[in-house]
Amino acid sequence: MCHQTVSLAARYLEKNGVTTIVMGCAKDIVEYCGVPRFLFSDFPLGNAAGRPKDPESQASTLELALRVLESAPAPRTTVQSPLRWAADPSWKLDYSNIERLSPEEIRQRREEFDRQKQIAKTARNEARAAQ
Amino acid sequence: MIGTDEYLGFAPEHDAPIPYMQRIRDYYQGLGYGAPYRWAHYAEVPFQPLKKPLAASRVTLITTAAPYQPGKGDQGSGAPYNAAAKFFTVYSGDTAIDHDLRISHVAIDRAHTTAEDSGTWFPLPQLRRCAATGRIGEVAPRFYGAPTKRSQRTTIERDCPELLAQCRADNVDAAILVAN
Repeated sequence: MCHQTVSLAARYLEKNGVTTIVMGCAKDIVEYCGVPRFLFSDFPLGNAAGRPKDPESQASTLELALRVLESAPAPRTTVQSPLRWAADPSWKLDYSNIERLSPEEIRQRREEFDRQKQIAKTARNEARAAQ
Repeated sequence: MIGTDEYLGFAPEHDAPIPYMQRIRDYYQGLGYGAPYRWAHYAEVPFQPLKKPLAASRVTLITTAAPYQPGKGDQGSGAPYNAAAKFFTVYSGDTAIDHDLRISHVAIDRAHTTAEDSGTWFPLPQLRRCAATGRIGEVAPRFYGAPTKRSQRTTIERDCPELLAQCRADNVDAAILVAN
C-alpha cells in the first residue's frame, strides 16, 4: 500500500507542477501505477533510502535519487541502485510467500490479519471522531 | 562439466525484483480471502522537469512513516505489524529539527530487516547535508507524512490535494517520496 500511496502522490504533484522522485523497494507496484521518476533499491521493504547503519550507502542512495530527479529524460524513468542487499538472494523468496507457510501458520496469519484489521478500524474511527 | 548458467555467469532465477503484486495476491487467496486487490494502474504518466537547477531548488521529503506515539503499542525495532500506530491524515514536520518516525504500521519485510535505523526510510539528515554542500538549493521548511490507505479514492481525492496544498504553501520545487 505504501508504494502505491507514494506513487499516486507523485503523479498528483507532478501533474500540478511539482517535480518528483519516488524512492522504493517494490518495483512492480510503482511501475504498474506509473510514476515520472523512480529510484529502485532491490532491498527488503523498509530500506528505500539505503542500508541500515551504513551512512555511506544512505548518502549514495540519496545522491542517485537526486541525479535521477534532475536528469530523467522522460516519464517512467526507473534507475536501479547498484547496491546489493546480500550476496545470497534467497531473502527474496520469503516475503508473503504462501508456499512457505504451514497450514497452522496460515491459520495464525489469518487470525492476526483479522485482529489488526479490527484495530485499524477502531483507530480510524477514533481519528475521525477527533477531527 | 559446468552448466550453462555457471558458464555464462547467469544470476539465479529468483534473483530478480520480488513480484509483490502476485505474491500478495497469492498470499491473501491462500489465507482464504476473496477477490484480489485491484492495484492502481495508469497508462499515462505526467512529467514536469525541474524548472530551475537542483542547486537552486527547494526540495521536500514525503514519507509514509508515522511519528512515534507513546501508548500505541510496540513501534520499536523488530516490532510486529502494529495497526494501532497508523495515522489517517496528512501531517507535516519542521525540517530544521530531528524527528522520531517509525514504520511499525506498514508491511515492511520483518523477516529480513528490523527498522532499527530511520536513515533507511527517512533521509532528512542526508538531505540537510545536500543543502549544506550546495547540491540542492535548500530543504523546504516542512516535510510531509502521507497516510497509506487501501482506498485509492481516499488517497487521490483527499490526501493528494492536501499534500499539494502544503507543497504550494511552502513553495516546494521538488519532492522526494520515500516508500516503505
